[in-house]
Amino acid sequence: MSSTPIYYSKAEYIETDTGNKVSRRATISGPQNIILGGKTIICTGAIIRGDLRRVGPGHAVVISLGRYCLIGEGCVLRPPYKTYRGTFNYYPMKVGDHVHIGANSVVEAAAIGNHVEIGKNCVIGKFTMIKDCAKIADNTVIPPNTVIPALSSFSGSPGHFVEYLPESTQELVESSTKRYYNLFQPLDR
Amino acid sequence: MSATPSIRYHCQCIGDPQPPPPHLPSSSAWFHPLHSLFFCEECDAVRCNRCVSVEVSGYYCPNCLFEVPSASVRAEKNRCARNCFMCPHCRNTLSVVPSDPPDDGRSHAPINTTGEPPFYLYCNFCRWDSGEVGITLEKPTGLATQLQHLEDAASDSLEFERLKEHFEPIIRASSLSSSQSAAPPVHMHTNSIAAAASAALARDIPGISKFSRRGKDKSKNKDEFPEYKARLDVSTASVRGSAGGKVDVDHMRALETIGQVASLEQRWDNSWTTSLKASDLQPLRLPLHAKRSKRCPQCTHILIKPEQKAQSVRFKIKLVAANYLPSITVSLPHLDQLAARPSDAMKRSTSGRPEAEIPTGLHPGRSYPFHLTFTNPLYDPIQVRLAAQRMHVTGGDGTEKDRSKRPPYAVSLPSSAFAVAAFAEEWEYEDEDEDMYGLDDDYSLATRATRDEHKPKTKAVGVIEKRANLTTVGGEIVIGKDAHGPVKFNMMVSYAYRSDDGLQDEGGAAKAKAPETKTFSFYTVIDLGLIMQKPAPPTELDF
Ligand SMILES: [Zn+2]
Ligand SMILES: [Zn+2]
Ligand SMILES: [Zn+2]
Ligand SMILES: [Zn+2]
Ligand SMILES: [Zn+2]
Repeated sequence: MSSTPIYYSKAEYIETDTGNKVSRRATISGPQNIILGGKTIICTGAIIRGDLRRVGPGHAVVISLGRYCLIGEGCVLRPPYKTYRGTFNYYPMKVGDHVHIGANSVVEAAAIGNHVEIGKNCVIGKFTMIKDCAKIADNTVIPPNTVIPALSSFSGSPGHFVEYLPESTQELVESSTKRYYNLFQPLDR
Repeated sequence: MSATPSIRYHCQCIGDPQPPPPHLPSSSAWFHPLHSLFFCEECDAVRCNRCVSVEVSGYYCPNCLFEVPSASVRAEKNRCARNCFMCPHCRNTLSVVPSDPPDDGRSHAPINTTGEPPFYLYCNFCRWDSGEVGITLEKPTGLATQLQHLEDAASDSLEFERLKEHFEPIIRASSLSSSQSAAPPVHMHTNSIAAAASAALARDIPGISKFSRRGKDKSKNKDEFPEYKARLDVSTASVRGSAGGKVDVDHMRALETIGQVASLEQRWDNSWTTSLKASDLQPLRLPLHAKRSKRCPQCTHILIKPEQKAQSVRFKIKLVAANYLPSITVSLPHLDQLAARPSDAMKRSTSGRPEAEIPTGLHPGRSYPFHLTFTNPLYDPIQVRLAAQRMHVTGGDGTEKDRSKRPPYAVSLPSSAFAVAAFAEEWEYEDEDEDMYGLDDDYSLATRATRDEHKPKTKAVGVIEKRANLTTVGGEIVIGKDAHGPVKFNMMVSYAYRSDDGLQDEGGAAKAKAPETKTFSFYTVIDLGLIMQKPAPPTELDF
């Protein structure tokens, strides 16, 4: 609950018209296939693989992130893949609003809802579905194809259900992601 | 445990309105984060998860998310009756895989089940598969139905069926007799099933009847109930290798790794004695989850009522304390200054939340200011008054040896009431581009600068800042020379608010009466962190 600004180097980050703040030291592959909702922060060393797209012509959204998201330092976001009827393919990843992903986590989920918190050093396996207001503790390993129900917290390796989260989780996460964005301030030197 | 400084709110749980002293271990059970508390308007009281009564309002499978009708939950034994099974070794949810393996043997998971029968249940975490216990499936759907015969043949379900058969005639007979006699309806925990069970227990366990309230009519019950003979008793179970007999001994002798013994956690989910061998563990259907309604324990009014849809995070009724009580945050300005020094700030910049492990920097024999920021959730302004609860250090339980002499620290709080402005929608952080908060940021940076200039004045105990529906007040803590341990104190918060209730009550004539003021009081515990044992480092931060 600190109100101390979280400083970043002004030279390192690019701020877009919609308030996204993207580190120049993050790797954004295939940016034309990535959508950022606005006021989303992508930190130093993060890797977002928009280049891993479904084969075929035309545009394809590979990874979409909502508003007020945070992709922590060193995170990897990679679309899930599988071989279906003999054909290898990547599938899109959709992330909702107010989703924070802690440092050094690797995410290959198919869908992450709104108001979701993922801790540091997590592995979120292929095609995982994380519903609204769920929470994944630090260092959790979620195996492929797992479903995380709404308002539940998971922890461990493999990740297990721990507890139901409070009824006010949505408001709590929303104010904390907004506060984080507002405290994320440039330091001019 | 939790990051400090921190504040928690008291719930009296229909008990002592005074919270226990903060240094007692029992204290933590009575204090909760504000966001986990409820508020009953009827009783005008805070309620918590320990004291509310909980009812299930709907069941769903946590994996396939199917909403299970309450009517079928009991017959399906509270578990998913579709396709969801738990790995017996690691509790991960199992996938169904065909017997023709995919080309790259490394990744079972991403293939789809279009292959050849028979199918197996497969764990994509620990690589267990149901072939190890001889379970195969003809088709990749309707798994629970396909495996129903295994479950029906298990000793626990056979025993349960037998118990039901045994008690059903007794229940029928007793409900018949109670409906014939004009007796008042039987109370919940003295109904016929409980009576039958306790009578059976009294007979089977010698001496237990004297602990039972129903011991007196023992003689009557004794004749009424036939004796129950278990299908399988422990002595025969050991022959089959599940209760410490020769089979188990032989197995243990041949052990090579500890993993060959099923751990307690792995056997926990079974309702019956099971084999000690990890290789015998069977997959179990996934237990259902529930959506829950919550009621006030005093007046039974509903405090929480979720929407029907299992994955909806909305509520039809949600009376949470955060909508009634001011939210309070605690900060130690000397810590914020440490953290705000650019060199440190850059280091901890974006690598996680700001509330990382920061030393408290509290040293014996010194005094520190602390800030309390109040946020008003009400549409009317409130007047807040604070009081530190006197420390019952000498009372206690006698185990607090050295601390019982005198309080290890003294707390100063603002003595006069202060106002916190009303909540207004436009003060919520705006979503759209012309951001209120953007302006606020500059403002708060400016005030931060001026605050730093006035550093010598940190002794000020009183109102420090007011903006929007926020008011920050300062307090001070003086730490004794020999003090150690955590700096924790109970603080009573009273706030006066405008109440419209008077308009209806008090004999209809009071319609034109001005709105009256009501006061609500609650306790909090404030934890400023541990007193550091090392001597204070030489620093320019002088308080
Ligand atoms: Zn309570
Ligand atoms: Zn009530
Ligand atoms: Zn299911
Ligand atoms: Zn497993
Ligand atoms: Zn009531």
